Amino acid sequence: MIKQDAPGAAAFSPGRRDFVARTALGAAGLLLSPALLDSCAPAASHAHIQGGMRGANFSVGHLLRDPTKLPAPSRTVQTDVLIIGGGVSGLAAKRWLARHGRREVLLVELEAAVGGNAAGGRNGVSAYPWGAHYLPVPDVRNRELLEFLQEAGTITGFAPDGLPIYSEYHLCHDPEERLLIHGHWQSGLVPELGVPAADREQISRFFGLIDELRQAQGADGRDAFAIPLDKSSADPRFRQLDALSFADYLDREGYTSPYLRWYLDYGCKDDYGATAARVSAWAGLHYFASRKGRAHNATHADVLTWPEGNGFLVEHLRRQAPDNIHSGQLAYDLRETPAGVSVLTYDVATRQTTRIEARQVLLATPYFVTRRLLAQVPDAPTLRPAPYHAPWVIANLTVDGLPQGPGQPLSWDNVQYGSAAVGYIDANHQDLGLQPGPRVMTYYCPLAHTDPDAARREAYQTSYEQWLQRILAELETAHPGITPRVQQAEVWVWGHGMVAPTPGYVWGGSRATARQPLRHKLFFAHTDLSGISLFEEAFYQGIRAATEMLLPA
Amino acid sequence: MANQPVLPSARRRTGEDHLPALLLGSVFVIATCGLIYELIAGTLASYLLGDSVTQFSTIIGAYLFSMGIGSWLSRFLDAPLLKWFIRLEILVGLVGGLSAPLLFVLFEYVTSFRLILYTLVGLTGILVGLEIPLLMRILENRFEFKELVSRVFTFDYIGALLASLIFPLVLVPQLGLIRTSLFFGALNVAVAGLLLYRFGETRPYRRGFTAVVGVALLVLAVGFAYAERIQVYTETMAFQDQVIYSKSTPYQRIVLTKNQRELRLFLNGNLQFSSADEYRYHEALVHPAMQALPHARRVLVLGGGDGLAVRELLKYPQLQQIRLVDLDAGMTQLFQHNEQLLALNQRSLLNPKVQVINGDAYRWVRADTTRYDLLVVDFPDPSNYSIGKLYSAAFYQELDHLLAPGGLMVVQSTSPYVARKSFWCISHTLQAAGFHTIPYHLYVPSFGEWGYVLAGRNGHWRGDAGPLPQGLRYITPQSIRQMLVFPPDMAELPTDINQLNNQALVRYFEEDWGPYTH
Repeated sequence: MIKQDAPGAAAFSPGRRDFVARTALGAAGLLLSPALLDSCAPAASHAHIQGGMRGANFSVGHLLRDPTKLPAPSRTVQTDVLIIGGGVSGLAAKRWLARHGRREVLLVELEAAVGGNAAGGRNGVSAYPWGAHYLPVPDVRNRELLEFLQEAGTITGFAPDGLPIYSEYHLCHDPEERLLIHGHWQSGLVPELGVPAADREQISRFFGLIDELRQAQGADGRDAFAIPLDKSSADPRFRQLDALSFADYLDREGYTSPYLRWYLDYGCKDDYGATAARVSAWAGLHYFASRKGRAHNATHADVLTWPEGNGFLVEHLRRQAPDNIHSGQLAYDLRETPAGVSVLTYDVATRQTTRIEARQVLLATPYFVTRRLLAQVPDAPTLRPAPYHAPWVIANLTVDGLPQGPGQPLSWDNVQYGSAAVGYIDANHQDLGLQPGPRVMTYYCPLAHTDPDAARREAYQTSYEQWLQRILAELETAHPGITPRVQQAEVWVWGHGMVAPTPGYVWGGSRATARQPLRHKLFFAHTDLSGISLFEEAFYQGIRAATEMLLPA
Repeated sequence: MANQPVLPSARRRTGEDHLPALLLGSVFVIATCGLIYELIAGTLASYLLGDSVTQFSTIIGAYLFSMGIGSWLSRFLDAPLLKWFIRLEILVGLVGGLSAPLLFVLFEYVTSFRLILYTLVGLTGILVGLEIPLLMRILENRFEFKELVSRVFTFDYIGALLASLIFPLVLVPQLGLIRTSLFFGALNVAVAGLLLYRFGETRPYRRGFTAVVGVALLVLAVGFAYAERIQVYTETMAFQDQVIYSKSTPYQRIVLTKNQRELRLFLNGNLQFSSADEYRYHEALVHPAMQALPHARRVLVLGGGDGLAVRELLKYPQLQQIRLVDLDAGMTQLFQHNEQLLALNQRSLLNPKVQVINGDAYRWVRADTTRYDLLVVDFPDPSNYSIGKLYSAAFYQELDHLLAPGGLMVVQSTSPYVARKSFWCISHTLQAAGFHTIPYHLYVPSFGEWGYVLAGRNGHWRGDAGPLPQGLRYITPQSIRQMLVFPPDMAELPTDINQLNNQALVRYFEEDWGPYTH
């Protein structure tokens, strides 16, 4: 072999020298302190890991249940528009209002930073996501989204054929995905390695069906499955699929292969935080069949990603209308007034309450918050069936090396076959350099094993040490010996992760009426009103609500 | 020993007449051992670190100085002197005996190998330095002073002569460094054992010491039995030729080997060049582009930390600035300091026109705003996804921003014979990034058929455009013309473009080279 070396690969595989040094230190430690051995065998194994719990401010959020404990307002602020909620839909609405001349717009957000489920963080090693972390190459018919991506520098131009050209720095680099199955990392997430012929046949039949559905149109001439999903066909041939669960549908259609079913369950958990048994067949198929992005230099299967995940998009949304964003504010006691709406906001840092009087208020909040905020509003809409929000746990682990098993090297998305978690992302994947050194891996696990309330209670009672132990136990099966290489681990528990499109939620319930504005004063935008929690949906909901606000009364 | 010492003193102990002889015999053995350890350390240091004059000189100096410290320290040791001496022999045997295997194994794993080396040399020196003074004090009552000095030093120097003769002639060729070291360690320990049994006064502690001697001998014997494995384990032995330098940097392992004909540089075990024919590779890398750029002032070299491409560039006096960006400071420093390598690259990296930057090429290129007349892209082959990024259309577009009007870029492009798809993939990727390409190749005996792609914003390049520097050994206008011809077995074939989100090149490269490596 000539003119070859592999600094990149060598850099991240644990060096033998390093290993010997550690072993030697370990051995010395053992020899010097035999008495310590018994006392700290399991617990001390991750005592070296720095970090703690991060995450949604649920203790403050829960004050909303009993706002009488909060102080009386010490001042009053007046504004044209108040947006409650700084997630993607709130920010998208703010941007839209700003570009249509609405200057006096104030946004309050409960958390310390905006972003909601698309928030990101950063440490000395890398930026990393705390939630949503990619955007599939979008459908070219989604003009508003393409325009935004161009402003963000993600689309660098348009080819003569009219297709967008994406920045190669934002398209997910190769190698993209790998699956640990039968002790080997295979390329891609659809199980292939060691999968029997009968299962392979089912898998290829399923993807044949998806290819058909991706092209399919209803009697009304609209796509069977579209993003935003409101653009999907109303043809009952497709919409009736919303009435049954994805699992029942798969059983009915003879998709019984455990490999295929694992993969589909994985997909549902990844996008909806719920298993195939909990989501509707329409939504389960939508996950695959709605991806019809086109680009000059990418396909519908490609995704856009950034070290901080969709925090990148959040930051660009924020930057386009950066004024009057107040974070660390709990909104409560919303009342209609003759001139508009009055809302109290409690500042978590100063512990003072402000009264905000607005002509129009946009509730860009999840339904469990919206419901409480609207407690005193007559004719407040209700969402039925009640949105299902599974809790999630996300951990960002800084590791100085990753013991690598056989097969494809470290990829962007790394999933273990048969695991309850949905794998981990290499936050440093888009790095261009060859510099060796520590990296951050973002581990995702929806708590989808039981009903959301029970899972939430369980999650809030789980300590940092217990999470760490669970996460490391799982990672150890994929990467034996990783524990001593973990330097830092931050754990974030999302009590209410994202909405799951349970049977009947998308097409059978009150979703469409629940988003209707009230008396041209109260407006609603959130992915709970879509039923699937995607960036595209949140972006669409924000623009839709802002457009409604801009209409004359 | 034929020459039995005459024992003049009445004070000698009865029944132990032969014992002074035994002690003097041990002088002979320990002298041999002492010098052997020194020779082993010196040889090993030159072998692993290169530059034998410096290594031998500093090792001998450190060793002799440490012996001095040992001699001085001997004053703090009081009776029972024999017990101290036996203890000392066991220690010398273990430390000296294990020194070679220890140094070989540790060489790969420790950052400051020199620290370990000199610590071990110092320790052995101190222990050996203690031996003779201690022995003389043990013997002081059994000989007259002049007799004592004369005999002890005679045996000492004879031992040294023996060691210096058998070491290169018998031991290294027959036993190897590791076994030699272990064998002489065992001899030292054996001396301890012998003294333990022949001197009556050792009885009180004989049992305990016997156990220690047994364990020490066992350790050395096990090492001796496994010497071959130790040797195999140390990768320095993987090279056919003598390793004259080797170092692990954060990025790679650099090994330099030498035989009578050539120097070879390996990175992570892969040959980078042989001094015998590297001129072919580097002349072909630089001159086809440079002869077409008579007005070139500035050149950027990416990779190429050996300074050999820069050596070729410096043959053009019109160049005012050559900037070299190489990831690994270990490489560029080696080629700025090692005399043999300085002779090879003609001190190119020390030239005032040359600026050496240790940094990541991709990051550097994105941040740099200078315009260059020539870009020399000399990266390792695209054998993994990290390096594959440096062959992507996106990277070439970044390089386009650094190119002055009329400028050229040349890219080392692996073997068009072995890795035909990879080679043409690089050419097509450059085209996709908007360049006109001129692929060419030549035969480099150490590598085989090797290829390059010359790229410019227009197709104006000519192979006979300008004068070539004097004294080139391969490149002429005729050979440039020949290099442009691709026979059918290397002819162009369709490939995908190498993109960051679809690294076709890494897959081609794996397919192309796979049959040669697995």
